[in-house]
Amino acid sequence: MDKEYLKISELNNYIKNLLDGDIFLNRVYLKGEISNFKNHTRGHLYFTLKDDTSRISAVMFQSSAVKLTFTPEDGMNVLVSGRISAYPAQGSYQIYIDKMEVDGLGALYIEYEKLKKKLAMMGLFDENHKVPIPKFPEKIGVITASTGAAVRDIMSTIKRRYPICEAILFPCLVQGKDAAPDIVRQIKRADAYGVDTIIVGRGGGSIEDLWAFNEEIVAKAIYECKTPIISAVGHEIDWTIADFVADLRAPTPTGAAEMAVPTVLDINTLLDNYKIRLNRNIKNMVNTKFIKLRSLKQSFILKNPMSMYEIKEQKLDALIENINKDIKSIIVNKENLLNNIKLSYTLKNPMELIKDKKVKFEMLINTLKLVNPLGILEKGYSLVECNGKIIKDSNDTKVNDYINIKLHKGKIKAEVKEIMEDK
Amino acid sequence: MEKEKTFESALQELETIVKELESGNVDLDKAINKYTEAMKLAKFCSEKLNDATAQVNKILTEDNELKEFNAE
Repeated sequence: MDKEYLKISELNNYIKNLLDGDIFLNRVYLKGEISNFKNHTRGHLYFTLKDDTSRISAVMFQSSAVKLTFTPEDGMNVLVSGRISAYPAQGSYQIYIDKMEVDGLGALYIEYEKLKKKLAMMGLFDENHKVPIPKFPEKIGVITASTGAAVRDIMSTIKRRYPICEAILFPCLVQGKDAAPDIVRQIKRADAYGVDTIIVGRGGGSIEDLWAFNEEIVAKAIYECKTPIISAVGHEIDWTIADFVADLRAPTPTGAAEMAVPTVLDINTLLDNYKIRLNRNIKNMVNTKFIKLRSLKQSFILKNPMSMYEIKEQKLDALIENINKDIKSIIVNKENLLNNIKLSYTLKNPMELIKDKKVKFEMLINTLKLVNPLGILEKGYSLVECNGKIIKDSNDTKVNDYINIKLHKGKIKAEVKEIMEDK
Repeated sequence: MEKEKTFESALQELETIVKELESGNVDLDKAINKYTEAMKLAKFCSEKLNDATAQVNKILTEDNELKEFNAE
């Protein structure tokens, strides 16, 4: 009996077709632990999934791997979905994974709560760090994916409500593990670019989809951003870390746009309101002044100008009277003073003024008399002169000299007959 | 009114004048000047709001180029 021998490739292809044709194996959900993890340079992931007793090879191609919200590593428990197929070249079957997540939302939730607590402690959610959103922005930076409902909702809402505002998209990834750094980068870019308000967010999704907005680096970037930030992540019920840090949290992307800009209609109404108030006010003011003016015009004084004159007349009289009174009293004062002077003792006894002087004078004369050298002659003494000199010694003269003798009254000219000395 | 006034600052100024006039602490001459100023501000705001051409949505590309953006 001739046996028909198959080539290996024929067998492997047969088995592959068998597996590919099985509708159950087309969509398989598995849970297991990662081992032998290899990240190929081209972005494909190769690893083994195992449990306590069994293992299966696993492949995740780059197109699916970019959507991962975490970096897989050995020992990690994961939930995967994909299809089972054979790899004929190796004669092995494996799972081709298109979705993978960390096993258990519980783990993510715990991480979320832990980070939330940590950032709250660090003060990232502090109300007094939050800044108010400008009421009438001229430029708004929008940080979200360039496709999808979120960007469309935000952009169209801004345009519809407040078309004079410029909305600038800073496109970024909003899911996958590269999303968080990308969001951070665009927040910094928008902050540096100079916009009045930043809206950062994305549309709804699972907790993994929104995970980038729960990352610490995103929270810190929002905190450090100087431009006011409105967060708009997912739906009303989704609260991400980013929402706690942002200056304002919007329930949805559309809501963020509504919070970011007023409507033209609202402003027009406000302007009209201002105009009405201004007109009413100025009218009131003019009216009040007019009434006041009219009442002033009708005042007694303006109606009876002569009364003003009468009052002045009266005042003048009073003034004149006062002046007269004053002058009179001044004159009386002066008169009294003059009389007092006239009656004074000195004026009546002018000799009194010189009496003292006379006595003094007489005393001086007597004193002079006492010291006058000629005064002594009165008492009978004489002065003898010889040759113009007064002599005190008989030897000062000679016989036959002529001498003058001065007496109290008159002089005698005599000739010396004899000189006698005292013995 | 200087040219570089922004819509927001004009609107704020307008609000301040309205409140000031309503406080009644302004004499008539000043009030009339302020009223004139306020009406100018209101006109400026209205014009800026209603006559300005609508802005086109933009996208800032990786090359720092500002391009027109149409959300599909």
